[in-house]
Amino acid sequence: MYNFFISLKQKLTMKTMSRVKKLTLCVMALLVVSISCSDEFLEIAPTGSLADAQVGTKDGIEGLLIGTYAALNGVFGNRFEGPNHWITGSILGGDANKGTDAGDYSSINPVQRFEHDATQGDLNNLWRGRFEGVSRANAVLAALANATDVTPADVARLAGEARMLRGHFYFDLKKHFNSIPVFDETIAPTDIVAIPNTPDVWPQIEADFQFAFDNLPAVNGAGRVNKWAAGAYLAKAYLYQGKFAQAKTMFDDVIANGVTSDGQAYALLDDYAQIYNAENDNHAESVMDVESANNTGSTQNANAFDDLNYPYNTGPDGPGNCCGFFQPSIELGNSFRTDASGLPLLDGSYNDPANAVANNFQHVVVDGNDEGTFVEDAGNLDPRIDHSMGRMGIPYLDWIEHPGSAWIRSFPYAGPYSPKKYIYYRSQENSFTDGSSWTRGYAIMNYTIIRFADVLLMAAEAEVEAGTLDQARTYVNMVRARAANSAHWVREYDDSGFAANYNISEYPPAQFADQASAREAVRFERKLELSGEGHRFFDLVRWGVASDVINSYLQFEGQFLVTKFGGASFTAGKNEFQPIPQPQIDIQGPDILTQNPGY
Amino acid sequence: MILKNDDHSLKPCVRQRFAKQTKVFSLLLFLLGSISYAVEAADFEKMAVVETLQQTITGTITDTQGVPLPGANVVIKGTTTGAAADFDGNYSITANAGDVLVFTYTGYTSTERTVGADNVINVSLEEGLALDEVVVTGYTTETKRETTAAVSIVKAEELAAIPSGNVEQQLQGRVAGVTVLTNGQPGTTSQIRVRGFGAFGGNEPLYVVDGVPVGSTDFLNPDDIATTTVLKDAAAASIYGARAANGVVVYTTKQGARSKKTEVFVNVSSGLTDPNVAGSPEMLNPQDMAEYTHIAYRNNAAATGTTPQYTHPQYGDQPTPRLPDYLHANGANGVVGTVDLAAIQAAYEADPENVFLIRPNLEGTNWYKEITRPAPLTRVTLGIDGGTERGRFYFGFSAQDQDGIVLSQSFTRYAARFNSEWDIAPWLAVGENFQVTYRSVLGLFGGDGGLGVADDESEVLSAYRMPTIIPVFDEFGSYASTRAAGFNNPRNPVRRLVRNAGDDRSYNIGGNGNIYLLLKPIDGLTIRSSLGGAYGNSHFVNYNFRYLGDSEPEASNSFSEGSSYFLSWTFTNTVQYEKLFGKHKIKAFGGVEALNTGAGRFVNGNGINPFSTDLDFQNLNVVQSPNVNSGQFKGVNFYSLFGKVDYNWDEKYYLTGVIRRDGSSRFGGNNRFGTFPAVSGAWRVIAEPFMQNQDIISDLKIRGGWGEMGNSNNVDPNNQFSLFASNRGNTFYPIDGQNSGANEGFAQSRIGNPDAKWETSTTTNIGFDLGMFNDKLEIILDWWEKDTEDLLFQVPLAGVTGNFASAPAVNIASMRNAGVDFQIVNRGNITEDLSYTVTLNNSFLTNEITFLADGIEFFDGGSYRGIRPIRNAVGQSLSTFFGYKVAGYFNSQAEVDSSPAQDGAGIGRFRYEDVNGDGVITPDDRTFLGSAVPDYTGGATINLRYKNLEFETYWYASLGNEIWNQSKWFTDFFGTFEGSAKGVRAKQSWTPELGNNAAAPIWESASNLSTSGAENSWYVEDGSFLRLQRLAFIYSFDQDMIEKWGLTKFKLGVSANNIWTITDYSGLDPVVSGPDTNFGIDVGNFPVTPSYLISLEIGL
Repeated sequence: MYNFFISLKQKLTMKTMSRVKKLTLCVMALLVVSISCSDEFLEIAPTGSLADAQVGTKDGIEGLLIGTYAALNGVFGNRFEGPNHWITGSILGGDANKGTDAGDYSSINPVQRFEHDATQGDLNNLWRGRFEGVSRANAVLAALANATDVTPADVARLAGEARMLRGHFYFDLKKHFNSIPVFDETIAPTDIVAIPNTPDVWPQIEADFQFAFDNLPAVNGAGRVNKWAAGAYLAKAYLYQGKFAQAKTMFDDVIANGVTSDGQAYALLDDYAQIYNAENDNHAESVMDVESANNTGSTQNANAFDDLNYPYNTGPDGPGNCCGFFQPSIELGNSFRTDASGLPLLDGSYNDPANAVANNFQHVVVDGNDEGTFVEDAGNLDPRIDHSMGRMGIPYLDWIEHPGSAWIRSFPYAGPYSPKKYIYYRSQENSFTDGSSWTRGYAIMNYTIIRFADVLLMAAEAEVEAGTLDQARTYVNMVRARAANSAHWVREYDDSGFAANYNISEYPPAQFADQASAREAVRFERKLELSGEGHRFFDLVRWGVASDVINSYLQFEGQFLVTKFGGASFTAGKNEFQPIPQPQIDIQGPDILTQNPGY
Repeated sequence: MILKNDDHSLKPCVRQRFAKQTKVFSLLLFLLGSISYAVEAADFEKMAVVETLQQTITGTITDTQGVPLPGANVVIKGTTTGAAADFDGNYSITANAGDVLVFTYTGYTSTERTVGADNVINVSLEEGLALDEVVVTGYTTETKRETTAAVSIVKAEELAAIPSGNVEQQLQGRVAGVTVLTNGQPGTTSQIRVRGFGAFGGNEPLYVVDGVPVGSTDFLNPDDIATTTVLKDAAAASIYGARAANGVVVYTTKQGARSKKTEVFVNVSSGLTDPNVAGSPEMLNPQDMAEYTHIAYRNNAAATGTTPQYTHPQYGDQPTPRLPDYLHANGANGVVGTVDLAAIQAAYEADPENVFLIRPNLEGTNWYKEITRPAPLTRVTLGIDGGTERGRFYFGFSAQDQDGIVLSQSFTRYAARFNSEWDIAPWLAVGENFQVTYRSVLGLFGGDGGLGVADDESEVLSAYRMPTIIPVFDEFGSYASTRAAGFNNPRNPVRRLVRNAGDDRSYNIGGNGNIYLLLKPIDGLTIRSSLGGAYGNSHFVNYNFRYLGDSEPEASNSFSEGSSYFLSWTFTNTVQYEKLFGKHKIKAFGGVEALNTGAGRFVNGNGINPFSTDLDFQNLNVVQSPNVNSGQFKGVNFYSLFGKVDYNWDEKYYLTGVIRRDGSSRFGGNNRFGTFPAVSGAWRVIAEPFMQNQDIISDLKIRGGWGEMGNSNNVDPNNQFSLFASNRGNTFYPIDGQNSGANEGFAQSRIGNPDAKWETSTTTNIGFDLGMFNDKLEIILDWWEKDTEDLLFQVPLAGVTGNFASAPAVNIASMRNAGVDFQIVNRGNITEDLSYTVTLNNSFLTNEITFLADGIEFFDGGSYRGIRPIRNAVGQSLSTFFGYKVAGYFNSQAEVDSSPAQDGAGIGRFRYEDVNGDGVITPDDRTFLGSAVPDYTGGATINLRYKNLEFETYWYASLGNEIWNQSKWFTDFFGTFEGSAKGVRAKQSWTPELGNNAAAPIWESASNLSTSGAENSWYVEDGSFLRLQRLAFIYSFDQDMIEKWGLTKFKLGVSANNIWTITDYSGLDPVVSGPDTNFGIDVGNFPVTPSYLISLEIGL
């Protein structure tokens, strides 16, 4: 019996031992296998993205180029990034004011009063958005340099488009910030941050446009830039530098031979209003467009930068939902006054009480809400006024007659007018807008960065400076003649006649008899023709008249919009350019990025 | 976007990994197989031995007063063989002579008896000595006596009656060193921080439930939890290595017990949360609002030297405002007198969506009251536990149904849990913990699962933007809103909550848990293999309806719907060996773990204007502009090896060493692995001979520890790669000039840093556990310091290099946290029947960013209507407020003229301090204005027990934190959304008489740097508070009485929660959470409000 126990115990011990061994082996094996696997186990491929090799093919580079185009209307969703520069170009130039009320988007307040500093965050986003565009264009060019499956013709086209876009981004940065770093695709990111900012960036911009002009085809597909867009932009770059002779040569070529990217010869549309109609996108007047579309899965592909720029509290009677921004100025309204012969009051007397355009401001703000007694202006007006700004009693596209203060968010703060260009029609709701977001105000007409009327007026400037005043008059009168086509003037809804007393005519030779008065006429025509399209401030700066013009504007407008503009002034030598954003100086260092004068 | 290219370089690896996973699972099967083979043999052999050597021991386990302790455990030391006492405290166990029986009962000191000749062993256990309390650290357990680390335990009964949706909320004030910021939304996540903030994000602790790390504990039912352990320092937590830097919270769920009669318990809590309407900020009534509008017009005119113009469309054009008879009558605003009701009625019938007839509510609508309601809450848990000699189980089913105080908010959770463990052989047990959960949270505000509500412009804020003069409904019964002119752009929040949120549905359903094998092949050796995981599936449907009555109307009906799933798993194998050599005791522990944090896919879509808005009709096929998104995520893989050695000599000197090596797929091959060591020691002074002849100190242990822990939560798994991606909004472009649809383009989306590695926190902890006067007074004190190095920081990239691509996180920054945690417990008897316990938990914290990157001194937080409140800067704590310092107001034109030049300066506006003294106010004059991080947080529990009646109060305090009251931007300036509702501080806005005592600047329209346009100290308020969080009475019915009813337990409790808060903070609630680098900002915080509960605990 005892022996039995002993042997059992031994057996048990042996069994236990073997069991333990087996188990230990299992565990050991598990550990070893796991360890040998662990390197692979710890590699997880990223999802939903592509690596260098994949975008380095021709199709990949095409995709990168599309990505570069996508930067045209901004990258960071900031409204200062909008290609139409409604704040930094139009509002600062006096075409319009912020609109709305004081507290809404209040970071624009100091900007429109020229009181902002380098910490203004929207300008930082503008800087970042445009340099992102540069960076994307450079990515295309860098990939092309290494690509093996792209034909030389395609290389020329792809590089041409990328350089055209890069030139545009640099141009935008130049006109806002003046002193910027420039670099091409050969510079590594680590070296880019060491490049100081300098005002001397025109050679780079010219080179990009010249390359695009030399390499791009004339017909390149509706949504793309082409040879002639590059030519027009190159001429514009010359004009900004005062290289009038070179500008003239280039403009002559563009005007004579230019075609849109889908092959239409450049021409002015018959109907001024149709420039801003989505149904008419990529028309003969589009030299360079930002394409806009709905049903893309993101309202950023529609005119998201303009989503606030509609009349206010319209209900379903008006477009958009929001927010009463970008209200045309009283001064701009008055500028459309014409004399008995249909010419503008170039002496500035349009602001005189006798000439000022009657509006309902007085009735609402001063006379205690007696808007009912407002009588529409009966004087002579340039017909473009009612394509450019919403006024009480005038048909607002195909919506209703502008009802006055009911569509204005804060009358005393922002004045009587509503934006009207780049506004969609009632008939286009949800077909030519993107209705998928919080506001209906995602219109899809293309914003035109350069349109043919702009080209003609720039060419007229070059002609004036070259002394060929008659040619300048020809160009200006082409633009005026189109506006004078009464077939397309705004009519009352009941078709009882024109909505106002329109009177416009072409300039007689006398106005273009000397350079100074010709210059005066050309510049004023730009104001009228291109109002609200983001050009005005940059024009005033390059003409060297910003301080005078803007200060008198602020003083005039400040009489009415006291809270908004009271005491505001433009500082010459400072406010011509925006401050280099402080966060960028913080990152790169003040030794690399020099702040602009006055900030 | 999906991968387009088949020759993706990483693709082959995917296949291999799949193959390898298969391999791992086959190994597990092999392991199981070999074990079951061994079982048969062992069973036979064991039986033969058992017959002759074992005897049956019986006895009674009671407390020192002789009261039976049902459910007390008896275990044969060094084995898993055990039994539990029945209701009369009787137990029965078979053991060998010479075996040591260990008797334990939660909250009582365990005791040991050696089996001798006597078959009856009665024991009485002493209450209160925490030393033998079991500390569950996730992988192992140890006793409080043994531990050398900073560990806090929260017992289930302490938490039972706190009416929270998520268990982590219950930790507030209960654990020294843990701060909890939460809000009143049912089902919200909370900001839980263990000992400060280690990184710029991802500072949530690691949660471990029954040994399996989980991403969230929101599925847990509080009644299912047995213990909660918080591992605070490296000595405790570094066994979790790379995931432990933020502390570890270990939950164990109820388990049943061996040889225990099956018991059934039912817990019911039911009550009501009160929205505390009386505590909501006061708004101007309609008359005052009109009056103050005209005062503002006069102030505007005075500021600009013009004549006042009374232009408000409702209040008339005279200096004395009047209220209209109709705010809006089909297009007419501010109508005084009568309107053509018949015509408007006809217009309404023709176009009911677009015609409104709104009369003023002259008494004033209290919008907070309108959007809130008393919200019922009920939780029922049915639990069954028990066991046989060879196993134990717990089954729990719970249902919680809770409404939010804000309309349409609700939280529902149904959970079923089954835990069990069964002996297959004396040396082998298998067990599982499994829970299936349905969870639905509706109407939650704020990002991060509700955490972001404080700085969200939610409907709570809407209630303070909607003028009191506007009624909820117009004369036709439509919702009334700002179609009535002059009130700016608020939207009727009742409509948004009831109509837009009321039909939304969202839920997730899933299971999680683990199965494990427990092997004890030889004495002292324990091998455990656990395979855990979680699977979840979620779905949501959102409806929004067109409404044209707002000044900024919602023009479209919209619909969205989506689904997702995920699967995560954890495979853990550990070995533990424990042996006593004379007075040397050694415990060695090692393990290997592989896991994936969760892989899955999602798909969702949205569209507008379905043909019919009938809920049954709507789906993604019937909407216009349908837009579909989908994506996948693969989770993060971890592979880890870890070990721990505990040594003690004679239970006097303790030494513990821990090491863990982790690899993670979050990092590139260069720095994938990190090693995290920790050492700690303790000296049980009380065990020394020189401590024996005194009776003041009953326990004293001095502890110290040092160690490193890692963190990788704050880095994207793709950080290692440079990638290109497409994005509909930012890289798509209609390149063909089309009006509809856009072409896909690409842009660099990420700049990679293959060299990134773990953030490492080095923790030093010194503490002691002191018991005095026979443990009537206990003090646990820990001083700690946590230095985090190699903090992953996305160094801001210069704009010139392109900013669309995410900047890589690089290991560059550093942060320091230091603090003191201490707990004081005092207990005793006042009379024989009246006993008390007072527990104080105290945490002191300092947090400081010590380095960011070369040349980078700060990064800013988010922007709120142009105000940027937070700057995270070197030398400051996280979430430090930054802005101009308000020195007062400009009280006269002379003061304006003589003060440093300041943009927008004017009478009655903010006058800022010229901090740098250069004579002009510029952005350089902004300075630090206080921090959202509290210096001190603590909780106090006072518990009184008189016979069967227990009284408990629980207080929570937070001191030294500031709050940025951004909601004042909306309510305290006339010019911010002029016309919208304003608060009563208007009445204390600046006047020459009030001067610097004014509560707000002059009442006017202007908005600039000197008014509402800049961040400044006026927004900063002291956020300190003391809150009575719980006041409860609990009555336990007499044992003999309830036995007659056939019950084993019957407790009735009533409690009032959050009933009293002492604070100077003027907002709704002083608890303001948010993301770590941007918290403490109150835009429209969701308050924690009083709730009243009745709870029943019934045992069958």
